[in-house]
Amino acid sequence: MPGGRSLLLAGVVSTLAAITGAAWLHEARPGSVVQSAAQTVSPQAGKLQPPALTADEERFATALWAVHREATRSAVTMSFAGITYQAEDRDARALARKIEPLAKFFHDAEMQVRAMSAPPSLSKTQVQYVGAMALYAGAAAEMLKFTEDGDSQRLGVAHEMDVRASEDMLRVGEVLWPGQYKPH
Amino acid sequence: MRKRALRIRPFALTAGIAALACLFGAAAQAQQPICSAWLIESSRFMNVPFGSFMPDRTFVPGSTKPESNIPSVDLPVNVGVIKCGSELILYDTGWKQQDYLKMTGSDHWAPLADQLKALGFNAADVTKVVIGHAHWDHAGQLSDLPNAVLYVQREELKAIEWALNYPEPHIRAINSDPGSCNRTPACGYMPLTMEEVYGKVLKGKAVIVDGEAEILPGVRIHPAFRAHTAGSQLLEVPTSIGKLVFGSDAFSSYEGIRDWMTANVQQTDTVQQFLAYEKCYKITGGYNNCVSAHEPLSYTDKYPLTKNSWVALNGGRMAELTLAPGEKSRKP
Repeated sequence: MPGGRSLLLAGVVSTLAAITGAAWLHEARPGSVVQSAAQTVSPQAGKLQPPALTADEERFATALWAVHREATRSAVTMSFAGITYQAEDRDARALARKIEPLAKFFHDAEMQVRAMSAPPSLSKTQVQYVGAMALYAGAAAEMLKFTEDGDSQRLGVAHEMDVRASEDMLRVGEVLWPGQYKPH
Repeated sequence: MRKRALRIRPFALTAGIAALACLFGAAAQAQQPICSAWLIESSRFMNVPFGSFMPDRTFVPGSTKPESNIPSVDLPVNVGVIKCGSELILYDTGWKQQDYLKMTGSDHWAPLADQLKALGFNAADVTKVVIGHAHWDHAGQLSDLPNAVLYVQREELKAIEWALNYPEPHIRAINSDPGSCNRTPACGYMPLTMEEVYGKVLKGKAVIVDGEAEILPGVRIHPAFRAHTAGSQLLEVPTSIGKLVFGSDAFSSYEGIRDWMTANVQQTDTVQQFLAYEKCYKITGGYNNCVSAHEPLSYTDKYPLTKNSWVALNGGRMAELTLAPGEKSRKP
């Protein structure tokens, strides 16, 4: 009988070992696919994931997104107004017609974001976004002055303001919408 | 006597024509420099699902087929460095990783100016920049190349402007998340990038190209409209190993060109992408000299043109593609 018990024990151990082995193989299989060095999953991926937003922060991000989506478009539209003026028509009146609504948009956006209620953890982010809208509004105002007095230095000043505003808008995006630009 | 003179004249004429042809041929050869070329990995997008890059390579769990058994890939962002005589040309300029643009999930970024320095070049010596298209990850860092003249297609600019003014908000959207654009017409043209393009225009350092253009003898821009974006453009470069064609995202994948598979479909007409592949076959005589922007196999033996590679700044890789006669290797 002790021989039978040993046999039973050996059987249980073998079964457990087989199950463990099969499980290990199952788990290991996707990683064992032959891949080139360039096609392996990076151990660093996911390391720098930003912390999740709280419910209050999420509400603020959602409210701001409605402004942000149009602000990015308006910012690029302003660059294009300048490109068209320089490279195509040199028509100051046409430039003014394009910039006027953008100046109003950025002024209104500045007021709108300033009036939003941000959680304390995002107060700096809110200030940054308000600052970006103010810079864009200032840049638009400089461009409009150029259309009146023809002082081309104003375009350089406006461009510098636009660059700073674009960077600030990205800073806010890093906090609220870190995936807003995908690999293209 | 007269008969003899008549006999000599055709011979003299033929000899004269031959001599002139030799002279002009040599002059043309002298005018068309042989260029050297390197590839810089500006950064790497890590762990990208293969199917989102190449639809025909979508991962199928459990599949043993080589086209569907790779779940994800790391995509380099390649920048071409081309030296033709005293001219230093960049093809694409990557993007700039800063506190305001960390791009979680990307790795190995280093400033383009530093990467050029590692190759022994000065960013201020770059004379021309040809951008394959104006997406944020291909047309960044322009302001760090103060003396470079930018070449961009009018078609590219027109299409972005058209999209920006489209009434439907999804079609005119620039940024992806949350719930905005993915492959819509204005998607991916970040404000900072477009402001840098405008900066070049404002400083009188931009050439807005209409279709084909020769920017140096033998160095030609070819339009590849809608092969990735509306105004995509290729760059043909004469080298000692034959002509190279830099394709940016019209040629996102070397395997895609080799195996006739579409890659990186954004504002893309896949028919036009295949025609861009064909253009490279026609210009270079095959697919091996087509330079891809995001090929995962870049800097390895599996993409032979780029195999002469090394690891440079911050883990980013570089490759020496070809050297002109007399040009010294810059491989450490």
